[in-house]
Amino acid sequence: MDMNDPLRREEKKESAPDRHDSGPKGPDVSRPGRDNLLKRMKKVDPKQSEKYKQRTGQ
Amino acid sequence: MRKRIYGIETEYGLLVNDNDFPYGPVEIADRIKDHVFSKGLGVLDLHYRAKHEPPGNGGFLANGGRLYIDMGHLEYASPECCNLVDLITFDRAGDQLVQDAVEELGWADQVSIIKNNVDLETNATFGCHENYLVGRSFPFDERENLKILSAFLVTRQIYCGAGRIGACNPHPFRDWDGVSMEIHEEEPVDFQISQRADHIPNEFYRWVQYNRAIVNTRDEPLSDPTKYRRIHLLVGDSNMSEFATAMKMGTTTLMLDLLEQGFAKREWILAESVGTMRSISRDPEFKWEITMRDGNRSTALELQWEILECAKAHLGGSRHETDWILENWESVLTDIPKGPEALLGRVDWASKYWMLSEFKKEENLDWHDPWLKSQDLEYHNLNRQTGLYWGLEETGDAFRKTTDAAIEHSKTTPPRGTRADGRGALIKALMGTHAGYLIDWIGFRLSKNEEPFLMLDPFISYKSEIHDYLRSMDLLPQPETPSPLPEKK
Repeated sequence: MDMNDPLRREEKKESAPDRHDSGPKGPDVSRPGRDNLLKRMKKVDPKQSEKYKQRTGQ
Repeated sequence: MRKRIYGIETEYGLLVNDNDFPYGPVEIADRIKDHVFSKGLGVLDLHYRAKHEPPGNGGFLANGGRLYIDMGHLEYASPECCNLVDLITFDRAGDQLVQDAVEELGWADQVSIIKNNVDLETNATFGCHENYLVGRSFPFDERENLKILSAFLVTRQIYCGAGRIGACNPHPFRDWDGVSMEIHEEEPVDFQISQRADHIPNEFYRWVQYNRAIVNTRDEPLSDPTKYRRIHLLVGDSNMSEFATAMKMGTTTLMLDLLEQGFAKREWILAESVGTMRSISRDPEFKWEITMRDGNRSTALELQWEILECAKAHLGGSRHETDWILENWESVLTDIPKGPEALLGRVDWASKYWMLSEFKKEENLDWHDPWLKSQDLEYHNLNRQTGLYWGLEETGDAFRKTTDAAIEHSKTTPPRGTRADGRGALIKALMGTHAGYLIDWIGFRLSKNEEPFLMLDPFISYKSEIHDYLRSMDLLPQPETPSPLPEKK
Protein backbone atom coordinates (compact mmCIF):
# COMPACT_ATOMS: atom_id res chain seq x y z
CA MET A 1 0.00 0.00 0.00
CA ASP A 2 2.37 2.72 -1.20
CA MET A 3 1.50 6.34 -1.11
CA ASN A 4 1.82 7.16 -4.80
CA ASP A 5 1.15 10.83 -4.59
CA PRO A 6 4.47 12.52 -3.78
CA LEU A 7 2.62 15.09 -1.71
CA ARG A 8 1.45 12.31 0.57
CA ARG A 9 4.93 11.10 1.39
CA GLU A 10 6.83 12.27 4.40
CA GLU A 11 10.26 13.48 3.42
CA LYS A 12 12.90 11.12 4.68
CA LYS A 13 16.59 11.33 3.94
CA GLU A 14 18.79 8.28 3.65
CA SER A 15 21.66 8.36 6.12
CA ALA A 16 25.07 8.68 4.48
CA PRO A 17 27.41 5.71 4.99
CA ASP A 18 30.35 6.49 7.20
CA ARG A 19 33.21 5.12 5.08
CA HIS A 20 36.09 5.81 7.43
CA ASP A 21 34.30 4.92 10.64
CA SER A 22 35.36 8.23 12.13
CA GLY A 23 34.11 11.78 12.35
CA PRO A 24 30.49 12.76 12.69
CA LYS A 25 27.95 10.03 12.11
CA GLY A 26 25.17 10.37 9.55
CA PRO A 27 21.96 11.72 11.02
CA ASP A 28 19.56 9.25 12.62
CA VAL A 29 16.53 9.80 10.41
CA SER A 30 14.16 7.39 12.11
CA ARG A 31 11.43 9.02 14.14
CA PRO A 32 12.43 9.61 17.76
CA GLY A 33 10.65 7.01 19.82
CA ARG A 34 10.23 4.60 16.91
CA ASP A 35 12.50 2.03 18.51
CA ASN A 36 10.60 2.17 21.79
CA LEU A 37 7.34 1.68 19.92
CA LEU A 38 8.77 -1.31 18.06
CA LYS A 39 10.00 -2.79 21.35
CA ARG A 40 6.47 -2.50 22.72
CA MET A 41 5.08 -4.11 19.56
CA LYS A 42 7.48 -7.06 19.73
CA LYS A 43 6.01 -8.02 23.11
CA VAL A 44 2.52 -8.49 21.66
CA ASP A 45 1.31 -12.11 21.60
CA PRO A 46 1.18 -13.03 17.87
CA LYS A 47 -1.86 -15.21 18.51
CA GLN A 48 -3.97 -12.80 20.52
CA SER A 49 -6.16 -11.81 17.60
CA GLU A 50 -7.35 -15.41 17.41
CA LYS A 51 -8.24 -15.35 21.12
CA TYR A 52 -10.45 -12.29 20.76
CA LYS A 53 -13.94 -13.79 20.64
CA GLN A 54 -16.51 -11.03 20.61
CA ARG A 55 -20.26 -10.97 20.26
CA THR A 56 -21.95 -8.54 17.95
CA GLY A 57 -23.28 -5.57 19.85
CA GLN A 58 -24.95 -2.41 18.69
CA MET B 1 -28.75 26.10 19.74
CA ARG B 2 -26.03 28.23 21.29
CA LYS B 3 -24.77 25.51 23.58
CA ARG B 4 -24.64 21.81 22.90
CA ILE B 5 -24.75 18.82 25.20
CA TYR B 6 -22.66 15.82 24.22
CA GLY B 7 -22.38 12.24 25.33
CA ILE B 8 -20.52 9.10 24.22
CA GLU B 9 -21.44 5.48 24.80
CA THR B 10 -18.65 2.91 24.44
CA GLU B 11 -19.02 -0.84 24.13
CA TYR B 12 -15.72 -2.45 25.13
CA GLY B 13 -14.22 -5.61 23.70
CA LEU B 14 -12.70 -8.07 26.10
CA LEU B 15 -9.67 -10.24 25.40
CA VAL B 16 -8.81 -13.21 27.60
CA ASN B 17 -5.09 -13.84 27.09
CA ASP B 18 -4.87 -16.91 29.29
CA ASN B 19 -6.44 -20.10 27.89
CA ASP B 20 -6.79 -21.49 31.44
CA PHE B 21 -8.55 -18.44 32.84
CA PRO B 22 -11.54 -19.67 34.86
CA TYR B 23 -14.07 -17.21 33.42
CA GLY B 24 -15.33 -16.44 29.92
CA PRO B 25 -15.67 -12.90 28.52
CA VAL B 26 -19.30 -12.41 29.56
CA GLU B 27 -18.67 -13.50 33.14
CA ILE B 28 -15.53 -11.35 33.29
CA ALA B 29 -17.51 -8.32 32.09
CA ASP B 30 -20.08 -8.99 34.79
CA ARG B 31 -17.43 -9.27 37.51
CA ILE B 32 -15.71 -6.07 36.38
CA LYS B 33 -19.04 -4.25 36.54
CA ASP B 34 -19.79 -5.66 39.98
CA HIS B 35 -16.33 -4.69 41.21
CA VAL B 36 -16.83 -1.07 40.16
CA PHE B 37 -20.10 -0.84 42.08
CA SER B 38 -18.75 -2.73 45.09
CA LYS B 39 -16.10 0.00 45.43
CA GLY B 40 -18.84 2.55 46.03
CA LEU B 41 -18.48 4.27 42.66
CA GLY B 42 -22.20 4.09 41.91
CA VAL B 43 -25.49 2.33 42.64
CA LEU B 44 -26.78 -0.74 40.82
CA ASP B 45 -30.27 -0.74 39.31
CA LEU B 46 -32.90 -2.29 41.56
CA HIS B 47 -35.44 -2.69 38.76
CA TYR B 48 -35.80 -4.09 35.24
CA ARG B 49 -34.90 -1.47 32.62
CA ALA B 50 -35.74 -3.79 29.74
CA LYS B 51 -36.21 -7.51 29.11
CA HIS B 52 -32.47 -8.10 28.93
CA GLU B 53 -31.56 -5.57 31.59
CA PRO B 54 -32.55 -7.15 34.92
CA PRO B 55 -31.81 -5.59 38.30
CA GLY B 56 -28.06 -5.47 38.90
CA ASN B 57 -27.25 -5.50 35.19
CA GLY B 58 -25.83 -2.00 35.53
CA GLY B 59 -26.25 1.25 37.31
CA PHE B 60 -25.53 4.95 37.48
CA LEU B 61 -22.17 6.21 38.65
CA ALA B 62 -21.22 8.96 41.05
CA ASN B 63 -19.80 10.87 38.06
CA GLY B 64 -23.29 10.96 36.51
CA GLY B 65 -22.49 8.36 33.85
CA ARG B 66 -23.61 4.76 33.61
CA LEU B 67 -21.88 1.36 33.50
CA TYR B 68 -23.78 -1.74 32.38
CA ILE B 69 -23.76 -4.92 30.36
CA ASP B 70 -25.31 -4.66 26.92
CA MET B 71 -25.52 -7.67 24.63
CA GLY B 72 -22.63 -9.29 26.48
CA HIS B 73 -20.41 -6.20 26.28
CA LEU B 74 -19.31 -3.99 29.12
CA GLU B 75 -20.61 -0.54 28.20
CA TYR B 76 -19.97 2.91 29.65
CA ALA B 77 -22.15 5.91 28.89
CA SER B 78 -20.55 9.21 29.75
CA PRO B 79 -22.55 11.76 31.71
CA GLU B 80 -24.01 14.67 29.77
CA CYS B 81 -21.21 17.15 29.09
CA CYS B 82 -21.53 20.74 27.87
CA ASN B 83 -18.06 21.14 26.36
CA LEU B 84 -15.51 19.04 24.52
CA VAL B 85 -12.87 19.02 27.25
CA ASP B 86 -15.39 17.60 29.72
CA LEU B 87 -16.54 15.07 27.17
CA ILE B 88 -13.05 13.76 26.49
CA THR B 89 -12.22 13.76 30.18
CA PHE B 90 -15.34 11.79 31.11
CA ASP B 91 -14.92 9.41 28.18
CA ARG B 92 -11.45 8.58 29.42
CA ALA B 93 -12.67 8.43 33.02
CA GLY B 94 -14.92 5.56 31.92
CA ASP B 95 -11.97 3.80 30.30
CA GLN B 96 -9.97 4.25 33.46
CA LEU B 97 -12.74 2.99 35.76
CA VAL B 98 -12.90 -0.24 33.79
CA GLN B 99 -9.13 -0.68 33.52
CA ASP B 100 -8.69 0.06 37.23
CA ALA B 101 -11.16 -2.72 38.02
CA VAL B 102 -9.21 -5.22 35.89
CA GLU B 103 -6.00 -4.31 37.70
CA GLU B 104 -7.59 -4.37 41.16
CA LEU B 105 -9.02 -7.80 40.46
CA GLY B 106 -5.46 -8.93 39.71
CA TRP B 107 -6.27 -9.73 36.09
CA ALA B 108 -4.03 -7.23 34.28
CA ASP B 109 -1.89 -9.98 32.73
CA GLN B 110 -4.79 -12.19 31.74
CA VAL B 111 -7.53 -9.80 30.66
CA SER B 112 -7.33 -6.86 28.25
CA ILE B 113 -10.04 -4.27 27.72
CA ILE B 114 -10.04 -3.40 24.02
CA LYS B 115 -11.62 -0.12 22.97
CA ASN B 116 -12.30 -1.00 19.35
CA ASN B 117 -15.36 -1.91 17.27
CA VAL B 118 -14.60 -5.13 15.46
CA ASP B 119 -13.42 -8.68 15.97
CA LEU B 120 -10.98 -9.17 13.08
CA GLU B 121 -11.50 -12.94 13.07
CA THR B 122 -15.28 -13.27 13.33
CA ASN B 123 -16.20 -9.75 12.13
CA ALA B 124 -18.54 -9.22 15.05
CA THR B 125 -18.99 -5.50 15.56
CA PHE B 126 -19.94 -3.33 18.51
CA GLY B 127 -20.32 0.36 18.75
CA CYS B 128 -19.36 3.76 19.90
CA HIS B 129 -22.47 5.91 19.95
CA GLU B 130 -22.42 9.69 19.83
CA ASN B 131 -25.17 11.85 21.28
CA TYR B 132 -25.84 15.50 20.46
CA LEU B 133 -28.69 17.48 21.96
CA VAL B 134 -30.46 19.74 19.48
CA GLY B 135 -33.59 21.87 19.67
CA ARG B 136 -36.89 20.23 18.75
CA SER B 137 -37.09 22.62 15.80
CA PHE B 138 -33.91 21.11 14.32
CA PRO B 139 -34.82 20.26 10.70
CA PHE B 140 -34.20 16.55 11.14
CA ASP B 141 -37.30 15.37 9.32
CA GLU B 142 -36.26 16.94 6.02
CA ARG B 143 -34.68 14.23 3.90
CA GLU B 144 -32.35 16.68 2.14
CA ASN B 145 -30.83 17.68 5.49
CA LEU B 146 -30.29 14.05 6.41
CA LYS B 147 -28.49 13.52 3.12
CA ILE B 148 -26.22 16.48 3.81
CA LEU B 149 -25.46 15.11 7.28
CA SER B 150 -24.84 11.72 5.71
CA ALA B 151 -22.29 13.20 3.26
CA PHE B 152 -20.46 14.82 6.15
CA LEU B 153 -20.39 11.61 8.20
CA VAL B 154 -19.24 9.51 5.24
CA THR B 155 -16.28 11.82 4.60
CA ARG B 156 -15.27 12.67 8.19
CA GLN B 157 -13.78 9.17 8.53
CA ILE B 158 -10.59 10.48 6.89
CA TYR B 159 -9.70 12.01 10.27
CA CYS B 160 -12.07 10.13 12.65
CA GLY B 161 -11.55 6.53 11.56
CA ALA B 162 -9.69 4.11 13.82
CA GLY B 163 -8.51 1.87 10.96
CA ARG B 164 -8.35 -1.89 10.72
CA ILE B 165 -6.62 -4.68 8.83
CA GLY B 166 -8.83 -6.51 6.33
CA ALA B 167 -12.51 -6.23 5.58
CA CYS B 168 -15.90 -7.73 6.24
CA ASN B 169 -18.57 -8.24 3.60
CA PRO B 170 -21.81 -8.50 5.53
CA HIS B 171 -25.11 -9.00 3.80
CA PRO B 172 -27.88 -6.58 4.57
CA PHE B 173 -30.75 -8.15 6.48
CA ARG B 174 -33.43 -6.69 4.25
CA ASP B 175 -33.70 -5.59 0.67
CA TRP B 176 -36.10 -2.71 0.48
CA ASP B 177 -35.41 0.98 -0.14
CA GLY B 178 -32.31 2.49 1.33
CA VAL B 179 -30.26 -0.67 1.60
CA SER B 180 -27.13 -0.70 -0.53
CA MET B 181 -26.69 -3.98 -2.35
CA GLU B 182 -23.41 -2.76 -3.83
CA ILE B 183 -21.33 -5.24 -1.92
CA HIS B 184 -18.69 -7.19 -3.77
CA GLU B 185 -17.63 -10.47 -2.26
CA GLU B 186 -14.04 -11.36 -1.53
CA GLU B 187 -12.65 -7.95 -2.33
CA PRO B 188 -9.07 -8.14 -1.05
CA VAL B 189 -8.35 -5.39 1.45
CA ASP B 190 -5.07 -5.02 3.34
CA PHE B 191 -5.98 -2.05 5.49
CA GLN B 192 -8.92 0.34 5.65
CA ILE B 193 -9.34 3.58 7.58
CA SER B 194 -12.66 2.81 9.33
CA GLN B 195 -13.70 -0.03 11.64
CA ARG B 196 -17.43 0.49 11.14
CA ALA B 197 -17.71 1.29 7.42
CA ASP B 198 -18.22 -2.36 6.48
CA HIS B 199 -21.03 -2.75 9.00
CA ILE B 200 -23.36 0.07 7.94
CA PRO B 201 -25.73 -1.12 5.19
CA ASN B 202 -28.24 1.78 5.33
CA GLU B 203 -28.19 5.51 4.88
CA PHE B 204 -31.10 6.13 7.26
CA TYR B 205 -32.72 3.80 9.73
CA ARG B 206 -33.83 3.74 13.33
CA TRP B 207 -32.39 0.43 14.52
CA VAL B 208 -29.08 0.16 16.31
CA GLN B 209 -28.23 -3.47 15.59
CA TYR B 210 -27.73 -5.30 12.27
CA ASN B 211 -29.42 -2.77 9.98
CA ARG B 212 -27.26 0.06 11.23
CA ALA B 213 -27.45 3.33 9.37
CA ILE B 214 -25.14 6.27 8.67
CA VAL B 215 -27.83 8.49 10.18
CA ASN B 216 -29.82 6.82 12.93
CA THR B 217 -33.32 8.27 12.89
CA ARG B 218 -34.56 7.00 16.24
CA ASP B 219 -36.36 9.74 18.15
CA GLU B 220 -35.62 9.16 21.81
CA PRO B 221 -34.80 12.57 23.28
CA LEU B 222 -34.19 11.48 26.91
CA SER B 223 -35.35 15.00 27.79
CA ASP B 224 -38.38 17.21 27.29
CA PRO B 225 -39.63 16.06 23.85
CA THR B 226 -41.35 19.37 23.22
CA LYS B 227 -38.04 21.23 23.50
CA TYR B 228 -35.28 18.86 22.49
CA ARG B 229 -34.19 16.10 20.20
CA ARG B 230 -31.19 13.81 20.65
CA ILE B 231 -29.18 13.04 17.53
CA HIS B 232 -27.87 9.52 18.19
CA LEU B 233 -25.13 8.36 15.81
CA LEU B 234 -23.60 4.91 15.67
CA VAL B 235 -21.56 5.24 12.50
CA GLY B 236 -18.31 6.32 14.16
CA ASP B 237 -15.36 4.34 15.48
CA SER B 238 -14.16 4.33 19.08
CA ASN B 239 -11.14 6.59 19.25
CA MET B 240 -8.04 6.22 21.38
CA SER B 241 -6.69 9.65 20.44
CA GLU B 242 -8.13 12.53 22.44
CA PHE B 243 -7.69 14.75 19.41
CA ALA B 244 -9.67 12.32 17.23
CA THR B 245 -12.51 12.18 19.77
CA ALA B 246 -12.55 15.96 19.96
CA MET B 247 -12.60 16.31 16.19
CA LYS B 248 -15.25 13.62 15.73
CA MET B 249 -17.64 15.28 18.16
CA GLY B 250 -16.54 18.85 17.49
CA THR B 251 -16.80 18.89 13.71
CA THR B 252 -20.10 17.02 13.88
CA THR B 253 -21.59 19.58 16.22
CA LEU B 254 -20.54 22.37 13.83
CA MET B 255 -22.17 20.44 10.98
CA LEU B 256 -25.35 20.32 13.06
CA ASP B 257 -25.03 24.08 13.63
CA LEU B 258 -24.80 24.64 9.87
CA LEU B 259 -27.91 22.55 9.30
CA GLU B 260 -29.78 24.23 12.13
CA GLN B 261 -28.94 27.71 10.88
CA GLY B 262 -29.67 26.93 7.24
CA PHE B 263 -26.11 27.35 5.91
CA ALA B 264 -25.50 23.74 4.88
CA LYS B 265 -25.48 23.27 1.09
CA ARG B 266 -27.31 20.74 -1.03
CA GLU B 267 -24.27 20.60 -3.35
CA TRP B 268 -22.58 18.52 -0.63
CA ILE B 269 -24.99 15.62 -1.12
CA LEU B 270 -23.37 12.45 -2.45
CA ALA B 271 -24.70 10.42 -5.36
CA GLU B 272 -24.69 7.40 -3.04
CA SER B 273 -23.62 7.19 0.59
CA VAL B 274 -23.28 3.62 1.83
CA GLY B 275 -21.05 2.38 -1.00
CA THR B 276 -19.04 5.61 -0.87
CA MET B 277 -18.37 5.20 2.83
CA ARG B 278 -16.99 1.76 2.12
CA SER B 279 -14.97 2.80 -0.93
CA ILE B 280 -13.39 5.70 0.96
CA SER B 281 -12.53 3.44 3.86
CA ARG B 282 -10.98 0.79 1.61
CA ASP B 283 -9.11 3.01 -0.86
CA PRO B 284 -5.49 1.71 -0.75
CA GLU B 285 -4.14 4.93 -2.27
CA PHE B 286 -5.98 7.28 0.08
CA LYS B 287 -7.35 9.31 -2.83
CA TRP B 288 -10.89 9.01 -1.47
CA GLU B 289 -12.71 9.90 -4.68
CA ILE B 290 -16.42 10.63 -4.44
CA THR B 291 -19.27 11.38 -6.83
CA MET B 292 -21.68 14.13 -5.92
CA ARG B 293 -25.43 13.93 -6.57
CA ASP B 294 -25.07 16.39 -9.44
CA GLY B 295 -22.57 14.06 -11.10
CA ASN B 296 -19.47 16.12 -10.29
CA ARG B 297 -16.39 14.26 -9.08
CA SER B 298 -14.57 15.32 -5.96
CA THR B 299 -12.73 13.80 -3.00
CA ALA B 300 -13.60 13.34 0.66
CA LEU B 301 -10.81 15.76 1.51
CA GLU B 302 -12.15 18.46 -0.83
CA LEU B 303 -15.67 18.07 0.52
CA GLN B 304 -14.41 18.38 4.09
CA TRP B 305 -12.55 21.56 3.07
CA GLU B 306 -15.78 22.99 1.61
CA ILE B 307 -17.73 22.26 4.78
CA LEU B 308 -14.92 23.70 6.91
CA GLU B 309 -14.82 26.93 4.85
CA CYS B 310 -18.59 27.30 5.23
CA ALA B 311 -18.30 26.72 9.00
CA LYS B 312 -15.50 29.28 9.26
CA ALA B 313 -17.57 31.86 7.39
CA HIS B 314 -20.72 31.43 9.45
CA LEU B 315 -19.64 30.12 12.85
CA GLY B 316 -16.13 31.49 13.34
CA GLY B 317 -15.73 33.80 16.33
CA SER B 318 -18.98 32.71 17.95
CA ARG B 319 -17.41 30.74 20.79
CA HIS B 320 -13.93 29.87 21.99
CA GLU B 321 -14.64 26.16 21.58
CA THR B 322 -15.94 26.67 18.04
CA ASP B 323 -12.74 28.48 17.10
CA TRP B 324 -10.66 25.66 18.57
CA ILE B 325 -12.56 23.13 16.46
CA LEU B 326 -12.22 25.23 13.29
CA GLU B 327 -8.49 25.75 13.82
CA ASN B 328 -7.78 22.09 14.41
CA TRP B 329 -10.13 20.90 11.68
CA GLU B 330 -8.07 23.02 9.31
CA SER B 331 -4.80 21.71 10.71
CA VAL B 332 -5.77 18.09 10.27
CA LEU B 333 -7.10 18.61 6.72
CA THR B 334 -3.86 20.44 5.88
CA ASP B 335 -1.74 17.61 7.23
CA ILE B 336 -3.62 14.65 5.75
CA PRO B 337 -1.88 14.95 2.34
CA LYS B 338 1.50 14.81 4.08
CA GLY B 339 0.90 11.16 4.95
CA PRO B 340 0.23 9.08 8.08
CA GLU B 341 3.40 10.04 9.93
CA ALA B 342 2.29 13.68 9.95
CA LEU B 343 -0.91 12.66 11.76
CA LEU B 344 0.61 10.54 14.54
CA GLY B 345 -1.31 10.83 17.79
CA ARG B 346 -4.09 12.89 16.21
CA VAL B 347 -5.70 10.48 13.74
CA ASP B 348 -6.11 6.89 14.93
CA TRP B 349 -6.12 5.15 11.54
CA ALA B 350 -3.00 7.02 10.48
CA SER B 351 -1.20 6.34 13.77
CA LYS B 352 -2.06 2.66 13.52
CA TYR B 353 -1.15 2.48 9.82
CA TRP B 354 2.25 4.05 10.45
CA MET B 355 3.03 1.80 13.42
CA LEU B 356 1.86 -1.34 11.65
CA SER B 357 3.78 -0.43 8.49
CA GLU B 358 6.99 0.10 10.45
CA PHE B 359 6.52 -3.21 12.28
CA LYS B 360 5.60 -5.03 9.09
CA LYS B 361 8.81 -3.78 7.47
CA GLU B 362 10.90 -4.61 10.52
CA GLU B 363 9.58 -8.16 10.82
CA ASN B 364 8.99 -8.77 7.11
CA LEU B 365 5.32 -9.62 7.59
CA ASP B 366 2.34 -9.76 5.30
CA TRP B 367 -0.67 -7.50 6.06
CA HIS B 368 -2.70 -10.55 6.98
CA ASP B 369 -0.15 -12.12 9.27
CA PRO B 370 -1.80 -12.98 12.62
CA TRP B 371 0.93 -11.06 14.44
CA LEU B 372 0.01 -7.87 12.59
CA LYS B 373 -3.68 -8.43 13.32
CA SER B 374 -2.74 -8.83 16.97
CA GLN B 375 -0.90 -5.49 16.80
CA ASP B 376 -4.07 -3.93 15.35
CA LEU B 377 -5.97 -5.15 18.40
CA GLU B 378 -3.25 -4.06 20.80
CA TYR B 379 -3.49 -0.47 19.55
CA HIS B 380 -6.82 -0.30 21.42
CA ASN B 381 -5.74 -2.00 24.66
CA LEU B 382 -6.56 0.24 27.64
CA ASN B 383 -3.62 -1.17 29.61
CA ARG B 384 -1.06 1.63 29.58
CA GLN B 385 1.83 -0.76 30.19
CA THR B 386 1.21 -2.73 27.01
CA GLY B 387 -1.33 -0.99 24.72
CA LEU B 388 0.25 0.50 21.59
CA TYR B 389 -1.58 3.81 21.68
CA TRP B 390 0.00 4.52 25.07
CA GLY B 391 3.38 4.12 23.41
CA LEU B 392 2.54 7.28 21.46
CA GLU B 393 1.78 9.08 24.72
CA GLU B 394 5.09 7.85 26.09
CA THR B 395 7.02 9.22 23.11
CA GLY B 396 5.17 12.54 23.31
CA ASP B 397 3.40 11.97 19.98
CA ALA B 398 -0.12 11.77 21.43
CA PHE B 399 -2.09 15.00 21.47
CA ARG B 400 -3.60 15.65 24.91
CA LYS B 401 -6.75 17.68 25.41
CA THR B 402 -7.22 16.75 29.06
CA THR B 403 -4.96 15.69 31.92
CA ASP B 404 -4.52 12.56 34.00
CA ALA B 405 -5.43 14.52 37.14
CA ALA B 406 -8.72 15.67 35.57
CA ILE B 407 -9.51 12.11 34.47
CA GLU B 408 -8.85 10.80 37.98
CA HIS B 409 -11.12 13.47 39.48
CA SER B 410 -13.85 12.69 36.93
CA LYS B 411 -14.12 9.06 37.95
CA THR B 412 -16.09 10.15 41.01
CA THR B 413 -17.20 13.73 40.33
CA PRO B 414 -19.84 14.75 37.76
CA PRO B 415 -19.35 17.49 35.17
CA ARG B 416 -20.82 20.91 35.86
CA GLY B 417 -23.34 22.65 33.65
CA THR B 418 -25.72 19.74 33.01
CA ARG B 419 -28.17 17.59 34.95
CA ALA B 420 -25.35 15.07 35.44
CA ASP B 421 -24.24 17.30 38.31
CA GLY B 422 -27.51 16.73 40.17
CA ARG B 423 -27.58 13.05 39.27
CA GLY B 424 -24.08 12.62 40.69
CA ALA B 425 -25.19 14.25 43.95
CA LEU B 426 -28.19 11.92 44.07
CA ILE B 427 -26.03 8.81 43.55
CA LYS B 428 -23.63 9.86 46.27
CA ALA B 429 -26.51 10.47 48.70
CA LEU B 430 -28.12 7.10 47.90
CA MET B 431 -24.87 5.22 48.51
CA GLY B 432 -25.17 6.09 52.18
CA THR B 433 -28.78 4.95 52.63
CA HIS B 434 -30.99 1.87 52.34
CA ALA B 435 -33.69 3.71 50.39
CA GLY B 436 -35.21 2.05 47.34
CA TYR B 437 -34.76 3.93 44.07
CA LEU B 438 -35.45 3.89 40.38
CA ILE B 439 -33.11 6.10 38.37
CA ASP B 440 -33.10 6.97 34.70
CA TRP B 441 -31.53 9.68 32.52
CA ILE B 442 -34.63 11.86 32.80
CA GLY B 443 -35.27 11.61 36.52
CA PHE B 444 -35.72 9.29 39.45
CA ARG B 445 -38.21 7.99 41.96
CA LEU B 446 -37.55 6.96 45.54
CA SER B 447 -39.39 4.26 47.45
CA LYS B 448 -40.44 6.82 50.03
CA ASN B 449 -42.45 8.80 47.51
CA GLU B 450 -44.74 7.82 44.62
CA GLU B 451 -44.03 11.03 42.72
CA PRO B 452 -41.10 10.94 40.29
CA PHE B 453 -38.55 13.74 40.35
CA LEU B 454 -38.19 14.76 36.72
CA MET B 455 -35.01 16.17 35.21
CA LEU B 456 -36.31 16.97 31.74
CA ASP B 457 -33.95 19.84 30.96
CA PRO B 458 -30.39 18.57 30.50
CA PHE B 459 -29.02 22.11 30.87
CA ILE B 460 -30.26 22.38 34.46
CA SER B 461 -28.21 20.74 37.21
CA TYR B 462 -31.22 20.32 39.59
CA LYS B 463 -28.60 20.05 42.31
CA SER B 464 -30.17 22.27 44.95
CA GLU B 465 -33.67 20.91 44.21
CA ILE B 466 -32.41 17.35 44.60
CA HIS B 467 -30.66 18.34 47.80
CA ASP B 468 -33.88 19.80 49.21
CA TYR B 469 -35.88 16.80 48.01
CA LEU B 470 -33.52 14.30 49.65
CA ARG B 471 -33.55 16.30 52.85
CA SER B 472 -37.36 16.28 52.85
CA MET B 473 -37.18 12.47 52.58
CA ASP B 474 -34.80 12.34 55.54
CA LEU B 475 -32.09 11.03 53.23
CA LEU B 476 -29.71 13.83 54.08
CA PRO B 477 -28.76 15.10 57.51
CA GLN B 478 -30.77 18.12 58.55
CA PRO B 479 -28.77 21.33 58.68
CA GLU B 480 -27.52 22.04 62.10
CA THR B 481 -29.13 25.05 63.69
CA PRO B 482 -26.42 27.13 65.26
CA SER B 483 -26.62 26.93 69.03
CA PRO B 484 -27.18 30.28 70.68
CA LEU B 485 -24.09 31.88 72.04
CA PRO B 486 -23.82 31.56 75.80
CA GLU B 487 -24.73 34.72 77.53
CA LYS B 488 -21.87 36.65 78.88
CA LYS B 489 -21.83 36.78 82.57
